[in-house]
Amino acid sequence: MAEQRAQPIAVDRGFWTVTLVLAVLAVASIVFWILFPISKYLPEAIITARQVDTMFRFMAASGSALYVFIVGYLIYFSIAFRAKATDPPDAIGVQIHDNPKLEFWWTLLPAIFVLLLSVISVRIWYEILLEPENGLVIQAIGHQFYFSFRYPNVNGEITDEMHLPLGEPVTLNLTSADVIHGFWVPAMRLKNDTVPGLVTTIRFTPQLAGRYEIICTQFCGVLHSQMHKQVLVIEDRASFDKWYQGWQQRNAHVSNALPAAPGQAISLQGGDAAAGKTLFAQKCTACHKLAPFDQRLVGPGLQGVLHDPAHPNLVNGKPATPENVAGILQNGFTGSLGTMPNASANGLSSQDIANLVAFLNTLKL
Amino acid sequence: MSVAAVHSGGIADHIHPEPQGFIRRYVFSLDHKIIGIQYLVTGFVFFMLSGLLAETIRTQLLNPNGGFVSPETYNEVYSIHGSAMVWLVVIPLLTGGFGNLVFPVQIGARDVAFPWLNMLSFWIFPVSGLMLFSSFLMGAPTAGWMEYPPVSLQGQAGTSMWAAAIFLVGVSSTMTGLNFLVTILKMRAPGMTFTRMPLFVWGQFATAPLLMIATTALAAALAALFINREFGVPFYDPTKGGSPVMWQHMFWFYSHPAVYIMILPAFGIISEVLPTFARKSIFGYKMIAFSSAAIALLGFMVWAHHMFTSGLAPFLQLPFMILTYIIGVPTGIKIFSWTATLWGGKIHYSTAMLFAIGFVALFTLGGITGIFLAAIPFDLHVHGTYFIVGHIHYVLVGGSMMGIFAGMYYWFPKMSGRLLNETLGKWHFWLFFIGFNGTFIPMHWLGMLGMPREVATYDPQFTFWNRFETFASYLMTFAILIFFVNIIWSIRYGKKAGANPWGARTLEWQVPSPPHYYNFKHVPTVYGLPYDFSQPLPYKGLEEELTDSPPAVAAGAH
Repeated sequence: MAEQRAQPIAVDRGFWTVTLVLAVLAVASIVFWILFPISKYLPEAIITARQVDTMFRFMAASGSALYVFIVGYLIYFSIAFRAKATDPPDAIGVQIHDNPKLEFWWTLLPAIFVLLLSVISVRIWYEILLEPENGLVIQAIGHQFYFSFRYPNVNGEITDEMHLPLGEPVTLNLTSADVIHGFWVPAMRLKNDTVPGLVTTIRFTPQLAGRYEIICTQFCGVLHSQMHKQVLVIEDRASFDKWYQGWQQRNAHVSNALPAAPGQAISLQGGDAAAGKTLFAQKCTACHKLAPFDQRLVGPGLQGVLHDPAHPNLVNGKPATPENVAGILQNGFTGSLGTMPNASANGLSSQDIANLVAFLNTLKL
Repeated sequence: MSVAAVHSGGIADHIHPEPQGFIRRYVFSLDHKIIGIQYLVTGFVFFMLSGLLAETIRTQLLNPNGGFVSPETYNEVYSIHGSAMVWLVVIPLLTGGFGNLVFPVQIGARDVAFPWLNMLSFWIFPVSGLMLFSSFLMGAPTAGWMEYPPVSLQGQAGTSMWAAAIFLVGVSSTMTGLNFLVTILKMRAPGMTFTRMPLFVWGQFATAPLLMIATTALAAALAALFINREFGVPFYDPTKGGSPVMWQHMFWFYSHPAVYIMILPAFGIISEVLPTFARKSIFGYKMIAFSSAAIALLGFMVWAHHMFTSGLAPFLQLPFMILTYIIGVPTGIKIFSWTATLWGGKIHYSTAMLFAIGFVALFTLGGITGIFLAAIPFDLHVHGTYFIVGHIHYVLVGGSMMGIFAGMYYWFPKMSGRLLNETLGKWHFWLFFIGFNGTFIPMHWLGMLGMPREVATYDPQFTFWNRFETFASYLMTFAILIFFVNIIWSIRYGKKAGANPWGARTLEWQVPSPPHYYNFKHVPTVYGLPYDFSQPLPYKGLEEELTDSPPAVAAGAH
């Protein structure tokens, strides 16, 4: 075999030429990520969004530079050291087992890089964590399949849009009424899960007016993929006040009562059908249509639920009476179509239930 | 009779009588090589089914409003796709499949330490696989492969079946881990020290404790989920005092090490294929071997990096971020060493080698985006989006599956005696490589721009790239069809391989293809590392392996 042993191999000019080319490509990729206009594709709606983008630029730049070298050498070695037709069939390569100096450096340099990356990440992360604690305190509650918002001095929950004034710090307390949801605004580069039984907090300061999608990022049930229809509106103080006062007036008569607990006695006397109609639009239309029984969304259509001779019983098998409808609203129901959340998950007080039943009773086929 | 050679572990060298009859030979076989092939066949059947589910997912996403299947069905499909790919395809193929098939021969053993346990591990696997797929009949789980409560508590009846199936396949994994660990510790041939073990054995050696320790945490979590769902003990139900976050801790305490269960054996495959076809010693043997052990150890300390948005206290999150960064160092050592192995080689481009080089390129990209995800500030943006879907597929398909394909082209001749067709193999590689990148690269920017994962419908602004991904995924599926055609054709018509078609130097190539049920006529003695092509083979006692002489130790002798 001795004559088969290939000549020792030197690091030749080809290697240095390739290294130079790769270095140029690596620098080009670094420059690309430094200059890339991220905010053109995704606005930076809050102050710390820029820091997250900086973090991304740093990792993308160093990652691409490293990747250029690895794949570049991989391709170069694959071509330069391929077995050629002129080689004898049993030709072998140069048997290099290791190179302690090289291995020392390619352990030490990444370790130093990891240290640097840790310092940068911790710094940026602390900037996100240390946003001011005072300011507007809002609660966001995840539901299947929407978010609701509680603002100070507004009765009840707001379930369409979330508005915030420009430039003022916000503390957002997140929780959930049913399952885990993810509260994500891509333009904020920030998300947190809404976990039932826990309150988690994120703080931020809006810096750019606009309308931004709120997206759920934790699978939360059959309509999870539809849970991106709400928007966060960031606007100047005057517009915000107008919106805010509008809700204060609109919800002045909404009860701030706690949701009806399971087993609590509910009086259906004095149900207000008009209030029930508003409530239905906010809380029920994600899963129920105002259409005949068979036209289901998640749950059945509810047009004429109390007056449908073809369906004398409710989904739980009990007769379609106002008391039994109230029972489902209070206690929830799980059947073949999925789960209808109970009153505490849906945020329905006993008055809300009475209003809803009164409204449903007005619907005729 | 000649004096029986003694294993380093002190187990007397003897050969059991050859099993008779089809059932004992091929169905309830105790032979680790047959069990390995059983794992491979079963795993690839589940791979086909999971691939069908994957194409259902991609076809649904051709249009922003979906419409191919209902959202309910879609949620079931991706949940079973993820679960099956992890637990029924990648883990069994790499541990039970290639592990069984190859490593006992590589360390000079006649079988694994506990052949009956091995047979039991295998037979639990198809049963649990059928249970998992049967959950479709009673309403499959819909909350993805992670099945976070409380939404999984609301899930259909099949969710409990899912939990039971994964529990069972976990039992199988645990037994395999124990079996492999004992085999490697006690049954190496004389002279096969730890620093002479082939790197594939090192991959299995680092994986086995993960299988044993991590899987038990998953089993506990699954049992609690099952009990919560079926008997109402509210482990995870927050309305009755349970904690949904506890599931996440226990699930990820398993599932992060599981990522290494799915990649360390593939690292081992690559470390065998690269030197063989570069005709050159592996570069930095010790660093590759020890970095596997380091990755396995660190893999237990990073699970909460999957939970940065779950509401943990900030000071608890910090160490998880930094420890995850640190895993980049041993992983980098491997990547650099593989690249350096090509330097100065005489590279032969078999299909196995193409897949091995492709592995290094694709896995490295998945590794780099893994560092991105470990950075808490960036993770708070992309957690739960398509960015992470892209990342995990680069690691598990660009990494693990490419490793599995490399292993198939490399060891198919050893298990069947015939070579896979190289022309079809090269079509398979190139179409797969192009289709794979086309499918998964765009996911990174889709996720960053606002596309969440696990959605049956999506924002119409993302239509173009989703269609692009779907068409690329059809190309990938076509490539996999070529692979299956190649296997079926080559079993009958492939070129005869002989004992050592690749000129490889580890022990399994020094015995006939396929090897005898007892592996070696004489247990060889090992004198060094296998990888130096300029040296004679470092084994003694193999002279008669390729002759017709009977084994030195008579069958049945004790």
